[in-house]
Amino acid sequence: MNALSITGLELARSGGFRLSVPSLSLAQGEQALLVAPSGGGKSTLLHLIAGLEDPDAGSITVADMPISALRGAARDGFRGASIGMVFQTFNLLHGFSAIENLMVAMMFSSVPAATHDARARALLAELGIDRPEQAVETMSVGQQQRVAVARALACRPTLVLADEPTASLDPANAATAIGLLQRACRDHGAALLCTSHDPSLRAHFSRVIDLGTAEAAR
Amino acid sequence: MTDFTIVLRSLSLRRFSTTVTVTMVAVSVALLLVLLAMRDAGRAAFRRGTGNAHLLVSADTSPLVAVLNGMFYANAPSQPIDWAAYMKIREAFPWSWTIPTQLGDSFRGSPVMATSKEFFTSFEPVLGQPWTFVAGKAFEAPYEAVVGAEAARLHGLRVGSELVLAHGVGTASGEAAHEHEDHPVEVVGILAPTGSAHDRAIFTSLETGWCVHAEESRLKEAGAANPGEDDHGHLHVDPEDLRDSEKLITGILLRVPTRPGEQVSSALPVAFDLLRRQFPFTVAQPAQQVGRLFEIVSGVDTLFIAMAVAVMVAGALSVMLALYNSMDLRRRQVAILRVLGASQGRVFGLVLAESAIIGLLGSGLGIALAAIFGTVASAELQRRVGLVIDPTMDLRTIVLCTAAATFLACAAGIVPALRAYRTAVVQGLRPLG
Repeated sequence: MNALSITGLELARSGGFRLSVPSLSLAQGEQALLVAPSGGGKSTLLHLIAGLEDPDAGSITVADMPISALRGAARDGFRGASIGMVFQTFNLLHGFSAIENLMVAMMFSSVPAATHDARARALLAELGIDRPEQAVETMSVGQQQRVAVARALACRPTLVLADEPTASLDPANAATAIGLLQRACRDHGAALLCTSHDPSLRAHFSRVIDLGTAEAAR
Repeated sequence: MTDFTIVLRSLSLRRFSTTVTVTMVAVSVALLLVLLAMRDAGRAAFRRGTGNAHLLVSADTSPLVAVLNGMFYANAPSQPIDWAAYMKIREAFPWSWTIPTQLGDSFRGSPVMATSKEFFTSFEPVLGQPWTFVAGKAFEAPYEAVVGAEAARLHGLRVGSELVLAHGVGTASGEAAHEHEDHPVEVVGILAPTGSAHDRAIFTSLETGWCVHAEESRLKEAGAANPGEDDHGHLHVDPEDLRDSEKLITGILLRVPTRPGEQVSSALPVAFDLLRRQFPFTVAQPAQQVGRLFEIVSGVDTLFIAMAVAVMVAGALSVMLALYNSMDLRRRQVAILRVLGASQGRVFGLVLAESAIIGLLGSGLGIALAAIFGTVASAELQRRVGLVIDPTMDLRTIVLCTAAATFLACAAGIVPALRAYRTAVVQGLRPLG
């Protein structure tokens, strides 16, 4: 089973934007960095993989499930259960505590409700959040990042998609953060596809996929 | 973590908008409830007041005025009926009972009605509910008074209290009313509340009223004969000394015989026609006149209800506006929930549930407001107009209003919910700024 397989993906938008990914796959637990020039479609590709947008042609399979063929609530449910997402601005739910952010994520998955609290606490503790009841908007940027990573892993996803996860951090913290993300994904057996425009991150990944070159095809 | 928690959290995040919207709904619901309750209570108060009298005879100009004056103490009838006419009416038909009444005096703004003892034994202020005394008994002798529940409460009267009656229906301060200072009247009985206009009246025997007036008019005659002398105290009129011309009344309550337990009688039209043909007085059927009064005011009534409904719709629109505007703030929240696996339908439901909760909270608050306002307004009505109104809202109205408010709030929530449903997740996820 591959964590991710893409074949013949085509997307064209008005304004001349074209995204073409003939073939791309990620093995289970594999980690890769996705690079492209600005506006090269990195975020768009992540959204396509998460099923938040539809391609014009081609198929996207996550954990052997053709997500591009799923519709409506089934696709939303599958995304919630199998894909974790980390954003540059974290996109945590304000007004909710750290642990509640994780529990909302698990609410939409098939993880048994009785285990939600314990799992959320364990994950947060593992990622160094010692006050899980704190409201996320009052946390430091570094802490919010950790909560975002914990939330992405809460439903035991097959694949974690990270969209510029270090863009709002200084270089030193960026290195720490990416290390944390990679280790957490490894520990939980999730594959990681990470986008970044930061060349310094290349050193952290054994595999770098450049959307602008033929290397994407593999 | 449940959907409900998410909804509550979302409402408390936008505390100001939620508060304003809930208040708007509450005001609309309260207004509607108060209008409905007041209308019903007003009607009930009028219906109750006519009691078991079939007919009312007075010298007023119209039947409606006769009933408003004679049964609801609106004003003192201006023209009297003399005792001889009363006796004739009494003999003209085999009445079940006849009760003469005389209005015109007052005690600190409360109307005083002189009447016969049958008023307490035969007349029922409310159908099927005879008078009951919470203290004392009916008057026996002249210069004794029985006090209605509301009048007793208003003036702090007890059995044994003494009243100085004033001539004319003055204001509460007693201005423009001549006080019969020399003849205090003693309270011998306090009536239980009936929820009718009679509660605010004070009752004395006819002789009391007559003697007080006779003394006054005879003093005036004497004063005219001996100018300069202003000696009040020596003249005393006993009931036996009353001249026939001094025995004046202002109204007669009548009841035709009925079968036991029945309120209507086929003899009523006959008696009605007979009185109209043979006597120069106004004859009114109180129940019918109250019905007419409702017909007259029903147009205004409908207008009020229409206004209340309009306010409620405005409340619903404000719910919609508040939720719709908040969608901009919530685009991100909705997008995150979608990323976390919430379906469009579920997000739709969450937003709809928010409006339902606003509707329910608003209704609850509105019911409380209406209860407070109803109590205050009924006290005011009582004080100013003397209409005894029970502001209690009936359960059916409350449930209907709550359901209507919640339904309207939900309906108003559909547009924003649809917008949440269609929100493009990708756009909601973009970094701000």
